[in-house]
Amino acid sequence: MNTLSPLIHLIDDDEAVRSSLALLISTVGLRVQAWADPLAFMAGFDRQGIGAIVLDVRMPGISGLSVLDQLVAQGVDQPVIMLTGHGTVEMCRRAFKSGAAEFLEKPVDDEALLEALQNAVRAHVKSRERHQADRAARERYAQLSAREREVLGLIVAGLTNKEIGRALDVSPRTVETHRANLFAKLQAESLAQLIRGYAVLVDESAQ
Amino acid sequence: MHNAPMFDWARRYRLWIAAGLVASALGAAGLARLQLAQLRDAFETDARIAHRLLSQRVVQHDAVLATLALLQPQAESSAPEQRLTALYPQILGVQRRDREADWADARLAVAETLSRAVRRPALAGLDLAGARYQLVLAAEPTSFALQMDLRTTVPWSEWPMAPDTSPVRVTLEHDSQSFVVQPGRIGAGGWRFDFHKHLASGSQPFDVVAQRQVGWGELPWGRMAAWTLAVAGLLAGACVLLRQREERRRAEELLRLGQVARLNTLGELAAGMAHEVNQPLTALLASTQAAGRLLAEDPPDLDMARNAMTVAAQQARRAADVVGRLRRAVQRPDPAAQLQAVVLQDAVNNALYLLAPELQRRQVASQVDAPVTPVSVLAEPVALEQIIHNLLMNALQALEQVPAAERKLLITVAGDALHGTLSVADTGPGIAPDVLPRLFEPFFTTRTGGLGLGLNLCETLAGGMGGQLTAAHHTPRGAAFRLSLPLASA
Repeated sequence: MNTLSPLIHLIDDDEAVRSSLALLISTVGLRVQAWADPLAFMAGFDRQGIGAIVLDVRMPGISGLSVLDQLVAQGVDQPVIMLTGHGTVEMCRRAFKSGAAEFLEKPVDDEALLEALQNAVRAHVKSRERHQADRAARERYAQLSAREREVLGLIVAGLTNKEIGRALDVSPRTVETHRANLFAKLQAESLAQLIRGYAVLVDESAQ
Repeated sequence: MHNAPMFDWARRYRLWIAAGLVASALGAAGLARLQLAQLRDAFETDARIAHRLLSQRVVQHDAVLATLALLQPQAESSAPEQRLTALYPQILGVQRRDREADWADARLAVAETLSRAVRRPALAGLDLAGARYQLVLAAEPTSFALQMDLRTTVPWSEWPMAPDTSPVRVTLEHDSQSFVVQPGRIGAGGWRFDFHKHLASGSQPFDVVAQRQVGWGELPWGRMAAWTLAVAGLLAGACVLLRQREERRRAEELLRLGQVARLNTLGELAAGMAHEVNQPLTALLASTQAAGRLLAEDPPDLDMARNAMTVAAQQARRAADVVGRLRRAVQRPDPAAQLQAVVLQDAVNNALYLLAPELQRRQVASQVDAPVTPVSVLAEPVALEQIIHNLLMNALQALEQVPAAERKLLITVAGDALHGTLSVADTGPGIAPDVLPRLFEPFFTTRTGGLGLGLNLCETLAGGMGGQLTAAHHTPRGAAFRLSLPLASA
């Protein structure tokens, strides 16, 4: 998995458009994979990779908007940029409602397209990172014992060790032990880091 | 085989026909009843008058007898009673029976006995068929008898009917004898009026019988026919009016549909054209911009840039081909081939007629200034109709932007030696000075949602017919469009 070099999927039935846009996109150092057939794209593209999708609205066989709907339904997280030669307000509204990241009209200016692509790639990278951090945090949180989770919840709620001990009817010493353990398990170096990384998970499990 | 369409016709209009038949029948029956009622009234009036006249006459006979009985003229002297026949033509003779004398006729004796019993004159020797009877009054010392003639009893000078020609039969009846006063005309069929009444005289209680036979021929056939015709005419008129309205509505609907269809076609065309042209333009733009970026690199990637420029040139050609193909596809057949003489006034009236609801809806007052003599121009009728329609619609849309009271549409038709001109002026907001030179450009529009093809199309159509379409400011306010076409006779 090459996360350093994002891959742009370009889907357009017109060969000249495909090759020209691919050339243009490659001038900013992005890799491009061009697809003539939307169905072949859906069947064959790498869903794990970092990158973005450039999709023409008007294609024979299947409309770009239905491709977009199917991608979203399948949980594809790459941002989708729609291209159209004859955009209407209604079409634009539908595209954004379906989850398109951007809606551009053909012929598209290089700066607009490249900026949209770079934004999309950046957003995708960020969302993947966030996702991964989230997953790691969940794994660590799962290692906590029931008592440690209780203590964590009260720490996040802003209680001192003494107050926690009183609330749980244990000695402040015991609370201190739990506290040290959970800091170690969650790899938190400060109270602020602990709260930022795990407050959401505490709220989730409290519900 | 001929009755099939006839049957269809009858079925299509069966409601109208049924309504017509019912209305005709009701009207005719009403007219007939009215006529019968009038005839009955006339008959009864005549019969009553006849009864009264006859009653008065026979009462006179009683009076004459009473007078004789009272005066008791002497038989030996001048016998004045014998002069009565001269005074009363219906009295044929007077007989007398003096005390201890006898009647020559035994029937008179019987009548006298009766008269003495009832103390009023009594009938004797009744012969109604022969129009004769006698009237006897018992008195002291002398009883009198009158020999009567019925025919002269009838007061013909005052008689309400013409006895020879009247259709009314009048008879006097008594003891199953009868005297025909006038024969009338009694036939079979139709209606019969009857009148029975005894004469108002105790001594001569003859039954006055009047009869009137109204035959079918006496019904007011002329008026009934006229009524039926009037009903048929009215219904046919209403039917035609409704059908005209229906047809007009349909024509308007068709017109509207045509406009929508034309717009849809144009929309489709624009979408298709946008796609067909945008593809090569997209490739062209992307290639040239990529080439620019490649050349800006250090060192510049000359080979790639050259390739990109080749692609760009190819795509520019492709775009040009698409445009050429589109133009050939939508090219109209040469309108000059279908030129014919069209009267401008007719074309204007037709367009105004079709747009009448639109004018009404927008409360636009329209005024047409046209010479009485028809201005006949060479034009393709459909193209001309389309131009006028577009100009009028444009004007109406412009007028929507000003208050209803200021909405005026002025249409002028004129002709000079060579050209017929039609001018459509409105009092709308007018054309901005910077817009005026671009007015006829394709896809130029100031209306949101407008395609910008209407005036362009009009100008192209006008040019194709050898004419000209120009736009100008209208004083004091608004826009004026002027269409000029060659005269048909020029």
